[in-house]
Amino acid sequence: MAARSRPDAAQRRAAAGLTTPFLILFAVFFVAPLAYSIAESLRAGGTGAFAGLLNYRAVLANGQYWGGVTRMAYFGVIQVSFMIILAILLALFLDSIYCRGRRVFALVYFLPYAVPGVIAAIMWAFLLEPDLDGALKLPHLAGLASGPLTPLSYRSALYAIMLIVTWEFTGYNMTILLTSLTSVPGQIVEAARIDGCSELGIALRIKFPLIRRTVLFTVILSVIGTLQLFNEPVLLNDIAGIGSSYTPNQIIYNTAFSFGNEPLAAAQSVLLAAVTIGATVVFYSLVRRRADPLRMAR
Amino acid sequence: MSARLKTSAGTALAILAAVYVLAPLYWLLIASTKNTSQLFGTATFLPPAHLSLGSNLAALFSFGGGDFRYWIINSAVYATVTAALATGVSTLCGYSLAKYRFRMRRPVLGLVVGSLMVPATALVVPIFMLESYLHLNNSYAGVILPLAVYPFGAYFMAIYALDAVPDTLMDAARIDGAGELAIFWRVARPVLMPGMATLFLLAFIGTWNNYFLPLVVLGSPDKFPLTVGLGTWASELHLAGSSQPLYPEVILGSLVSVLPLLILFPFLQKYIARGLTFGAIAGE
Repeated sequence: MAARSRPDAAQRRAAAGLTTPFLILFAVFFVAPLAYSIAESLRAGGTGAFAGLLNYRAVLANGQYWGGVTRMAYFGVIQVSFMIILAILLALFLDSIYCRGRRVFALVYFLPYAVPGVIAAIMWAFLLEPDLDGALKLPHLAGLASGPLTPLSYRSALYAIMLIVTWEFTGYNMTILLTSLTSVPGQIVEAARIDGCSELGIALRIKFPLIRRTVLFTVILSVIGTLQLFNEPVLLNDIAGIGSSYTPNQIIYNTAFSFGNEPLAAAQSVLLAAVTIGATVVFYSLVRRRADPLRMAR
Repeated sequence: MSARLKTSAGTALAILAAVYVLAPLYWLLIASTKNTSQLFGTATFLPPAHLSLGSNLAALFSFGGGDFRYWIINSAVYATVTAALATGVSTLCGYSLAKYRFRMRRPVLGLVVGSLMVPATALVVPIFMLESYLHLNNSYAGVILPLAVYPFGAYFMAIYALDAVPDTLMDAARIDGAGELAIFWRVARPVLMPGMATLFLLAFIGTWNNYFLPLVVLGSPDKFPLTVGLGTWASELHLAGSSQPLYPEVILGSLVSVLPLLILFPFLQKYIARGLTFGAIAGE
């Protein structure tokens, strides 16, 4: 497929020259940090002496670290399923014949993609603060609650983060699903309609099965994003003091910068990458059909 | 269910979702016109009787020696330079992978695809450790160079170039005596431009929105991007002893950070969506 003519010396030189800038950057800022952190993770914090797998054993036995991972797993089960179902429903509706103003809706839902997670967290932190958002006092004033709602208390902060992350990424996922829906062949939908299939039936029994792989893709992307959460909990902690070790990345940050134990932080980073890659490998093995990754796309 | 009922159920869900998306942004716009006492004393979603936007703007740009001005410029520099570098470097690499057969093609392709799986945030602390070793931390290059490593860009461009640049055209140029670099510049580059625009936008927004890496790598406030700067202000909101809480500065600063992209978004949406969707379609 690529370059049908026989590769000659000039083409080999061109290929080498054009890939070199990428490979240099990649080697210095991707491979080297990974290698460096793996080497660091084998040293003892403080003395810097070779310590073998001591740090990894410490991480595996660290309740706070795995607490962060399992908290995010729980977070992911609830938040990702809610978000993806919402994204699927919105995409199916926008793709249906009933939707008016599809372009406007699609644009509005996608807007949060242009908003940094830090800013999203700042906005929501203020909106979830009863002193700033009078609506949170309404249940109390109506006699339904004993005090103003405090979504940012330690117990409910996890759900506040879910609200923020759902705000940030539902439209992102909907955009991916909607584009995938536009590739569903019109004849199939038309044939089903002629056979008397209802629009709801078309959406659920024809369109949805055809975009199943894309749904799986958005789920995996979201799970990876969940394991990596950092900005939103950090800002909520800065503003409302929800606690500084909610997620694995916050814990890694604290290990490196509050406790100054870089080798242990390196081990935590390597394990987080391993957990995330594990999740991704499962996905790729599910969708990969052919050996050549470029062909796969066609 | 009648068709009418289904239509209204769908429309209701769509409108509800739109309100959920727009409410905080609308609030940000309204709140940025209030001073601190108005923030705590007036209706949350209604503008105040006397707009305090002017005094808020003055406070925003003068607080802390005018750091905010640096943060805007820094964010623009980080995002523009990173996006340009990432787009250029990934385009050259992706084009080679698509259009040339060479011994290292499969290994490089494997490297690019394999690295897509490594979560970016797991690299942040390792990058900091390496940069302190190289004395690159707390510098512009220390933010730009790691973010310019963009394997997704190379992967995207490899698949884009596969179809966009016809081999017959390249062969015709070779017969006419054109060198390989001239072929890239005159034959390939013009047809790769739309793909490059997509990559540039994705990398620009990704860098503009980034918080974790600059937070870890940078130390001096005059090098901060908007996200890190506003984060430090937000963390000072509740510090005991701060004479004047920074609510108006944080809120208006947030608005100023998102407004340019939000205004441009309707025009950019198409290019951005093509990039996001790309991975999903590749999975089909």
